[in-house]
Amino acid sequence: MRLFLQYKFLIILRAIWFAAQIAFFGIIASRMIDPKLPLADIYFEYYVAGVVIMMLYSTSVFIGYDIFEEAEHGVFEYLLSLPVSRRELVLGRSIGGGIRSFVFVGPLIVIALFVIGFTNPLNFLIAFLALFLFAFGVSGMSITIAVAIKSPDRFDILMGAFNAFIVRLSTAMYPQAILQKTSQAYAALAQFNPITFASDLFRWGTGIEQYLTMDPTMPLAAIIGLVIFFFTFTFIGVTIYEKRLEGGGWQ
Amino acid sequence: MKAILHVIEHDFRNFFRYKWWLIGLISMNLTDLFIMALVYNQMINPNLIENIRDYFRFFAPGVTIIGLFASAYMIGREINMEVRRQIHYYMLSLPITRLELAVGRLLAGGLRGMVYMSPLLLTTFLFLGFPSLPHFLVILGALFLLATGISGLSIAMAVSTTSLEKFVTARGLVYYVLFFCSSIFYPLSLIQDLGREGVMPQPIVVLAEFNPLSSGADLIRSFLLGTPPFTFNMIRNLIVFSTIFATTATFAYMKIIQRK
Repeated sequence: MRLFLQYKFLIILRAIWFAAQIAFFGIIASRMIDPKLPLADIYFEYYVAGVVIMMLYSTSVFIGYDIFEEAEHGVFEYLLSLPVSRRELVLGRSIGGGIRSFVFVGPLIVIALFVIGFTNPLNFLIAFLALFLFAFGVSGMSITIAVAIKSPDRFDILMGAFNAFIVRLSTAMYPQAILQKTSQAYAALAQFNPITFASDLFRWGTGIEQYLTMDPTMPLAAIIGLVIFFFTFTFIGVTIYEKRLEGGGWQ
Repeated sequence: MKAILHVIEHDFRNFFRYKWWLIGLISMNLTDLFIMALVYNQMINPNLIENIRDYFRFFAPGVTIIGLFASAYMIGREINMEVRRQIHYYMLSLPITRLELAVGRLLAGGLRGMVYMSPLLLTTFLFLGFPSLPHFLVILGALFLLATGISGLSIAMAVSTTSLEKFVTARGLVYYVLFFCSSIFYPLSLIQDLGREGVMPQPIVVLAEFNPLSSGADLIRSFLLGTPPFTFNMIRNLIVFSTIFATTATFAYMKIIQRK
């Protein structure tokens, strides 16, 4: 959390991005939607929910940059010397990364709820808790990639390109049915994308899905997807952490 | 003139050191075009873009402008880094006048933007059709003006602060305001309609109308798609933008790198 607050300019930058996405792209794009589509009436709300998830994703990725910062300043060796198992270390960092993302995205979620509203508090609570798993999983993924690559430049490039694919091949900006209409391949990839699980869950929690054709397995399928995502990256993260760092530290 | 060419060569060598960064950037631009634009094709109101058939064709010139902006802006990051690490003292020690140095950096930034943008422009031509030779030359000239203006804007911002964080934050603000308040993603007529309805504040509409990114994207569209119609205002906006920021950047760079 303390490390995260040092990035105040980046936090300001992400807040500006959020405002620009909603105030400009969200409003204008919602007027571009074909009025014959059932989505047309609520595209703005749909998009705002997607922007929240995109924001949660990008702030959870920040933890990977901290790893490089620590490696540069020799903090890594100190962390490895602590009486904490590797598993606890990775798990702690994944959870810490996820929680601090929530601290940052929390006010934005409140703004989003003000715009979207929500009808069923229980659904929203379930969705909200499941989003923690998403944030922890993304942090775990970011740590895994950072430790596997060990190069801040390559990490930055890879995460940028990966971010472009993972966000666009998800339901953050458009529904699954439209992706299906565009390309079977895009739809298939989006179906197993954690951003899709998180976006759909958030919309289910806020009640937007009542206007859309949602998967009948919601929210169970999305929650299971996020649980698998979280455990996969925690497990891979621990394994890679141990293999890449034992007996030689960062170098 | 020879000195300016040396400065341009220096900056081009630096540019190609970032080849992986460029590959990453181009992959982001292409995902915007081949995923986002194709999906939006299925959702867009057909009446809105009836003249151009689909959103993909509308958006392709926009992606070209996004790529041009991002790559021409890179020079600012390098100059900011040089100022922070005091490498500019080395530049000042070279047998080159301050003016040549400043002009060389400015032109290098613009030309790098043009080089990066060329595969995106070619992709646009492949999907939208090739323009006639006079139109092609006008497009290249207009994009060079835009790239030089962007390079000037980034240099002016880079020398205004020695803090990378402040530079990155300011860059983000400029990016988002210029990208979203422009006709890159949506037709200018739609923003004007929203302004008339009172949904979009009037200053935003005016900004979108005079935004050089709108002029650049619409100029390509006017020649390749026939809509919006070409007007000399597009060229005027680009000349004004380019002149203001090229001049500001040249003098700011000359003045600030000599400061103790």
